[in-house]
Amino acid sequence: MPNPVTTAPNAAAASQNTLNQLALAEKYACQGPRYTSYPTAPHFRDDFNVQQYIDWQMQVSSQESAPLSLYVHIPFCRDICYYCACNKIVTRKKGVAREYLNRLFHEIEIQSRLVGSHRPITQMHWGGGTPTFLDNAEITELMHTLASHFRLLDKGYREYSIELDPRTVDAATIALLKGIGFNRISLGIQDFDPLVQKSINRTQSLSSVSKLVESIRAHEFRSLSFDLIYGLPHQDRHTMAETLRKVVQLKPDRIACYNYAHLPERFSSQRAIDRLTLPEPHEKLLLHQIISDTLQDAGYQHIGMDHFVLPQDELAMAQAEGRLQRNFQGYSLQMADDLLGLGVSSISQLGDFYLQNERHLDDYYLRLDRGELPLAKGCRMNQDDRLRKHIIMSLICELQLDTTECNDQFGVDFNSLFSQQLLALLPMERDGIVKIHPHRIVVTDNGRPFLRNICMLFDAYLPKAASEAQTGYSKTV
Amino acid sequence: MTIPIINTGDSSGLVACTHDYQVRCGNCRLNSLCLPLALESEDIEQLDSIIQRSKPLQKSNHLYREGDAFQSVFAVRSGTLKAYKTTDDGREQVTGFYFPGEIVGMDGISNNTHASSAKALETSALCEIPFTSLERLSTLMPSLQRHFFQLMSREITADQQLITLLSKNSADERVAALLLSISTRNSRRKLSATHFRLPMSRVDIGNYLGLTVETVSRVFSRMQKMDVLRVDNKEIEILDIEGLRGVAEIG
Repeated sequence: MPNPVTTAPNAAAASQNTLNQLALAEKYACQGPRYTSYPTAPHFRDDFNVQQYIDWQMQVSSQESAPLSLYVHIPFCRDICYYCACNKIVTRKKGVAREYLNRLFHEIEIQSRLVGSHRPITQMHWGGGTPTFLDNAEITELMHTLASHFRLLDKGYREYSIELDPRTVDAATIALLKGIGFNRISLGIQDFDPLVQKSINRTQSLSSVSKLVESIRAHEFRSLSFDLIYGLPHQDRHTMAETLRKVVQLKPDRIACYNYAHLPERFSSQRAIDRLTLPEPHEKLLLHQIISDTLQDAGYQHIGMDHFVLPQDELAMAQAEGRLQRNFQGYSLQMADDLLGLGVSSISQLGDFYLQNERHLDDYYLRLDRGELPLAKGCRMNQDDRLRKHIIMSLICELQLDTTECNDQFGVDFNSLFSQQLLALLPMERDGIVKIHPHRIVVTDNGRPFLRNICMLFDAYLPKAASEAQTGYSKTV
Repeated sequence: MTIPIINTGDSSGLVACTHDYQVRCGNCRLNSLCLPLALESEDIEQLDSIIQRSKPLQKSNHLYREGDAFQSVFAVRSGTLKAYKTTDDGREQVTGFYFPGEIVGMDGISNNTHASSAKALETSALCEIPFTSLERLSTLMPSLQRHFFQLMSREITADQQLITLLSKNSADERVAALLLSISTRNSRRKLSATHFRLPMSRVDIGNYLGLTVETVSRVFSRMQKMDVLRVDNKEIEILDIEGLRGVAEIG
């Protein structure tokens, strides 16, 4: 495996590109949303009219037979990982899972009545927290409850995935997950370096992970995905190269890399991380570049937003055919327009509505115990939101935007409506990030790391000086 | 759900009937394996009231057949059953063996008809648990429901592990894995983990593991030569359990 930072003679050309990319990364580094939705979650409103949503749902749900995607949130973790900024509860108390499941089952019942129990569930994802905080019996029970309230599919094309913490599962759980219908697994790897693992309080050996991977392969899951994080304490170019070597050896079908945002004032667990052990900004950009170069050298394709997939993976093929979508679980195949989120803090996207459940367990329980939908926030997209969503999602998923299609679909004149943005794209074109054609904006290969920067131009909710860091979003690269 | 308490070595000369199918859950020796785990005695009585105990099922008789309407699950109290499906070309495919303390019939839950047939390999006593009553009772007794899901997950897991075993492994690995599974299930019932009688024929073993009878016999003699097993027709003694684990490659 070529080490991208050393200047081996045969890698001279490649390393020139690396240097160019680094210079660009330095130039475009700023904070911005990951665009798992548009408008993004911070712009959902507390004063959102829930009744309006319910009325709409009552009107459509009885005839609605379109496919539906489910997200199920299990908020608990047995141990704290210091970097984590997810909505989670660290506990080992017995009975918390039971208490939660009872409420979750209640929500499942209410939601299946409201959204419709007959719509085929083409996609399902269990995330957290740690879904395998639940024991085998509870996992079975939850799937059984979902199956009795929604139309789960046993078709091969279904995408039923679950996030696993390698420290919490063994081969028997893998067998069970396969048996109850999951066909995709995503493993939280983060980093293989022992010192890095220790400093984030997440120790998992290579041998335990490879055993698990072996068992996942033996049970013929359709795809295996790894999550990695860069910017963690004690990471440097050498540890990263070594971690990537191990990752590539295990050959997951998909790899998602995340940028660690150190915001100790917002996330208390991050206070356990010593700021001085974090890689310097320049080193961090280098880490990002090493990941991108190493994975692409190993045959992975960068589909955007730091997601890498093997060329034979469905996502790679779907991108070429324009069947990719992006939602709160990242990239996936476009199989259902609507996503129903279940569990505390989950986000749904149904029709023109974005909805978020109560973020705190007490509130979530209270609302359900009163027999109410546990919604806390929401947003109904207007025509302008829909247009901008289309633009942003096209850029992120297809890496291009057909402006004639925009005009036809939304009855606008793209070039005059977005003349400001087109002007702002010009310097990006000079930097080789985008290519502007008469009716198309295309993100170049070198431009993929800067997707967020391009999309931010079309985000109406960002303050005008978007590059000024005050939004609390993580860095774009 | 039970094997009755047997008065072994009792000098009084009174020999308890080993198939006393009237033993109640509260007195049942298997009640830690079977449904009533961790139930309060009051709950056990409630559960007891829905359970139907019928006469023992004679060898080769069917408990239910593929396609029968699903009404109950059954706890095995004594004896052994095999579950099998009939393939499209009319052959039998053994899908599982059920020992005392285990629940059979859960294959019917999803479709309301049994997906396989169940047949007694030897005289077997069973407790019938009508599913609708069980569901009703489960809503009143969360711990019963939890235990039921535990059993279900164990069943699903075993099934998946078998599929994996069959798709990948050698004849030796398959036979070793089955023997280890029986050994573990015996020790769960506080019986010898190393010395037992196989209740099923070589034909059934071969069918279950996707091997010919000859291959099964060859594997047995090979393991005898390696001093891993001692085999006397259906009597099995595991001489080297670590060795057997090594063969099964399930460290």
